[in-house]
Amino acid sequence: MAKKVTAVVRLQLPAGKANPAPPVGPALGATGINIMGFCKEYNERTSSQVGMIIPVEITVFSDRSFTFVTRTPPAADLLRKAAKIEKGSGTAGRGAAGSITREQLREIAETKLADLNAVDVAGAEKIIAGTARSMGIQVNE
Amino acid sequence: MSWLELSVEIDQEAVESVSELFAQVGYNSGVAIEQPFVGSPDGPEYTIDAARPVVVRTYLPLDEHAEEARARIAQGLWALGMMRPVGELQVKQLEEEDWANAWKAHYPIRRIGERFVIVPSWLQYTSQAGDVVLNLDPGMAFGTGLHPTTQLCLLLLERYAVPGQRTLDLGCGSGILAIGAAKLGAQPVLAIDNDPIAVQATRENVERNAVGEVVTTVEGSLGPGAELGHWLGSDWATKQRRAHPTAGPVAFDPDAEFDLIVANILANVHVLLAPHLQRALKSGGTLVTSGIIADREADVAAAFAAAGLAQIERLQEGDWVALTHRRP
Repeated sequence: MAKKVTAVVRLQLPAGKANPAPPVGPALGATGINIMGFCKEYNERTSSQVGMIIPVEITVFSDRSFTFVTRTPPAADLLRKAAKIEKGSGTAGRGAAGSITREQLREIAETKLADLNAVDVAGAEKIIAGTARSMGIQVNE
Repeated sequence: MSWLELSVEIDQEAVESVSELFAQVGYNSGVAIEQPFVGSPDGPEYTIDAARPVVVRTYLPLDEHAEEARARIAQGLWALGMMRPVGELQVKQLEEEDWANAWKAHYPIRRIGERFVIVPSWLQYTSQAGDVVLNLDPGMAFGTGLHPTTQLCLLLLERYAVPGQRTLDLGCGSGILAIGAAKLGAQPVLAIDNDPIAVQATRENVERNAVGEVVTTVEGSLGPGAELGHWLGSDWATKQRRAHPTAGPVAFDPDAEFDLIVANILANVHVLLAPHLQRALKSGGTLVTSGIIADREADVAAAFAAAGLAQIERLQEGDWVALTHRRP
């Protein structure tokens, strides 16, 4: 019998620093894959990106084998970098934490396009603008 | 140790915003996103189903700060709820044991190479003629036999381990390779690892396989390897060390002592230890190295060549490469 997909889990983790503590342990333990095996692979593949959050999409198969691909950094990290701020305002819609330009918004949308399940750049821009708003980052026209 | 799992169901477009909110309070800034998908009924293909809601989760230690963090998330979700539909925040208590052992239910008996059979210690297996059976409980150490890096090493051990060879297993993890070598007749076998959890797992597995007279297990590494600490780094490793206090890793730097060395570690450690691995081998001795991700292979091969080792074999499975070298 050919193997089938039993779960698709996306994890956001600091590069090179996966360990069996949460979120890795509980999120993957339930799928039946070997946690230490995942940690070894993730850390080795992201060892050159330490200091960044690198999301991974893990596909788990019916024989408990798994594959994963690393994704683009979270939109929030890209927004913070573009707005040159450490943190968002923490509370959606309350207080301005910083601002970015239209061009920066478009750049981030293009970077994230493949990972957002958006149809086109305009759709991705809408999602990124929503994330920015929730972080208190304004988009200047 | 107890943890809180916070989860919420949202639509695809809110994933980035909610992940950002969860990452601010979650342990290790970690967020898990369960993607709805449509799988093929008869193969490994699938597509993400963007129309169905997504579950986003994060985890916090259940301590005096947990309630404050939960309230902060609830407030953030409430504000996001003004902009788009957001489900109810779900809170669940979890125990570490719940997930630490969950994978064991799916750990199969597995045949590797021509003779090795990996048998989880809680399963029964009737061995057949020619089988080399390894009874294992890896616990929280690396080396279940399921990972390609381990499988490549077992294949190479079948090829290169000869009865009576003095053998070193560097970074022994669960002890699977040291025990495999011992069962093929190698002796004496020295198994070393910087991780006290691995040392304990190896000792238990050595006992389980009745090779205690052949295999010696010590917490330590070769030369500067002893200063590298736990291979997973981070505060998790520090916590493990505190929970299992030991005298700390011993630094070995043997000269022309081993006929066979097997090291399933990581590319950067191979590069660091290349001269020490070379020195530890007898002339004509064999070095089996694994855990090398394909795009680091050139660095590792260059380091071994610079140390004066001659490559005699290369195996690859998926993205993982195993290299065999000989000391001239």
